[in-house]
Amino acid sequence: MPTEEGQDEASRKALEYSAFYRGKIGTVPKVPVKSLDDFSVWYTPGVAAVSTAIEKNPGLSFDYTNRWNTVAVLTDGSRVLGLGDIGPEASLPVMEGKALIYKYLGGVDAVPVPIRVSSEEQFIAVAEALEPGFGGINLEDIASPRCFDILERLRGKMKIPVWHDDQQGTAGVILAALYNALELTGRDLRNARIVLFGAGAANIAAARLLIEAGAPAGEMILMDSKGTLHSEREDIDQLLMRNRWKYEMALKTNSSKVQGSLKDALKGADVLVAAATPGPHVIKRDEISSMNPDPVVFLLSNPVPEMWPDEAVNAGAAVVATGRSDFANQVNNSVLFPGLFRGALDVRARNISDTMVIAAARELANFARAKGLSKTNIIPTMLDWDVFPSVAAVVGEQAQREGLAGKSLSRSELFAEAQRIIQQSRNLASILIEKGIIPPLPDDRLAGRGD
Amino acid sequence: MKELVIREAEERDIDQAADLTVRMKKLNGEFDPLFKVVDDAKERAERYLRASMGSADRLVLVAAKGPKVLGVLRAEVEVRLFYQPSKEGRITDFYVLPEWRRRALGDDMLQHASERLKKMGAEMIVADFPARNEIATGFYTKRGFRPLVNTFAIEDQRDR
Repeated sequence: MPTEEGQDEASRKALEYSAFYRGKIGTVPKVPVKSLDDFSVWYTPGVAAVSTAIEKNPGLSFDYTNRWNTVAVLTDGSRVLGLGDIGPEASLPVMEGKALIYKYLGGVDAVPVPIRVSSEEQFIAVAEALEPGFGGINLEDIASPRCFDILERLRGKMKIPVWHDDQQGTAGVILAALYNALELTGRDLRNARIVLFGAGAANIAAARLLIEAGAPAGEMILMDSKGTLHSEREDIDQLLMRNRWKYEMALKTNSSKVQGSLKDALKGADVLVAAATPGPHVIKRDEISSMNPDPVVFLLSNPVPEMWPDEAVNAGAAVVATGRSDFANQVNNSVLFPGLFRGALDVRARNISDTMVIAAARELANFARAKGLSKTNIIPTMLDWDVFPSVAAVVGEQAQREGLAGKSLSRSELFAEAQRIIQQSRNLASILIEKGIIPPLPDDRLAGRGD
Repeated sequence: MKELVIREAEERDIDQAADLTVRMKKLNGEFDPLFKVVDDAKERAERYLRASMGSADRLVLVAAKGPKVLGVLRAEVEVRLFYQPSKEGRITDFYVLPEWRRRALGDDMLQHASERLKKMGAEMIVADFPARNEIATGFYTKRGFRPLVNTFAIEDQRDR
């Protein structure tokens, strides 16, 4: 079982290494520079011809510059990890971490862009203003429910894909894991009774995607701190005014208007997706026991799940997943977003639709099945390198099917292209490490392991 | 399958109709703090609806499906002493459960109420609601209503 000491150690290392490396990402040249004369091509005067061509046809910015592969990781720092509204500067280490994952696992050049804004309107204006320089926007760590409005409005306005990982990414990996968990327990999403405990951005987005993927909305129950959501809840009109996304879910789900405690909601449920409050004693054994036989239980709060997985198993859970890498079945956005954005960029998608996310989730589930489906292997891990080009290929293919793509490529071409780009990105990291340009970790240097 | 009906409220509807009336008042409070609802609003709503149901120039309609009340509308006919038309039907309270919105139930209730109020002598229909209630503003505007009277408010100045 993970310990507080382990977390303290990770915190110590993070602080020490951050000071040592002074940032997790930088830029590297992509063109040969053998002498300063080369800048007459890469920069002025030669570059003017490229600018003139793009002026005539702005779409060429995707061909003549790195725009095709560049994503802004855009945040206002209003809800960073579990830390809350810590502001844009404090969000920067997290955005750098995200950019590192994008580069390493997806070959995407992601740029942290924390911004200081005071309203949703300002946020949207900044995002729109950034469009000419980027191939896509990854919204990150924005407070709910503002994040829903921002995503919806930007998706409608922008010609490059806009993605909010806390919503769509989390929903996508939950769906992927659920496909396999349901398969293992002999169930079908189309008649599964699902309870979502916690009604923040992740679970609201998950509920929407699960319904889009075929889960019966009326059988689904969402719970927040005030109880089960349903269309006649006392505060329903408050929700209409303050959180229309939750309001819409209250109308769509829980058609029986089940009220009461989590135990009441879980009676007869097949699946529990908890993304509520860090545990470990937030959910009790008897609550799991009140579910249908062999239930699926996802305990996704970090750093500590709502209950320990072995407790859930002892209470009858057939398949358990958490958000942590030190337990089996980590439901982690990082297996989804690098490949998904890779695919969106490679076909120059104008948008990332829910059906593209569902296609990615299916591919993740298929990938785990191909490896050998079991109760402790329902979803790929970040170590499954081939999953990223596989996801990229199906996403690119789905975008073309929906008329959202600016380029036409076959599935095998998409896979090969994504694999090449991702491999190149990993090779680059390896070379930089081998050559000592990225120095060894301070701890390794002390232990003599970095040479 | 029970049929949805729009009819005059009866004693058996009072509890649910009062509940919906309080919901509407609380929704008003979301738009403007001067509409903060009192603690015993439910009891007051019950008395208010009962008194209206027994009055010749007042109307309480409910939309119901079997015993379930889905919407309530209270209105009254008032004399306009100095103006023509000289009688107006004034909708004072109107609430439909969220699940039943966007299904034309509000339209049907408004239509029923307008017909009843005209039979009671009303020559025009008006609706009272807080100025900042955007939902009501949108609802009535879409149906051809226009602003008629402004009510301006100022809070007690003594503490300022």
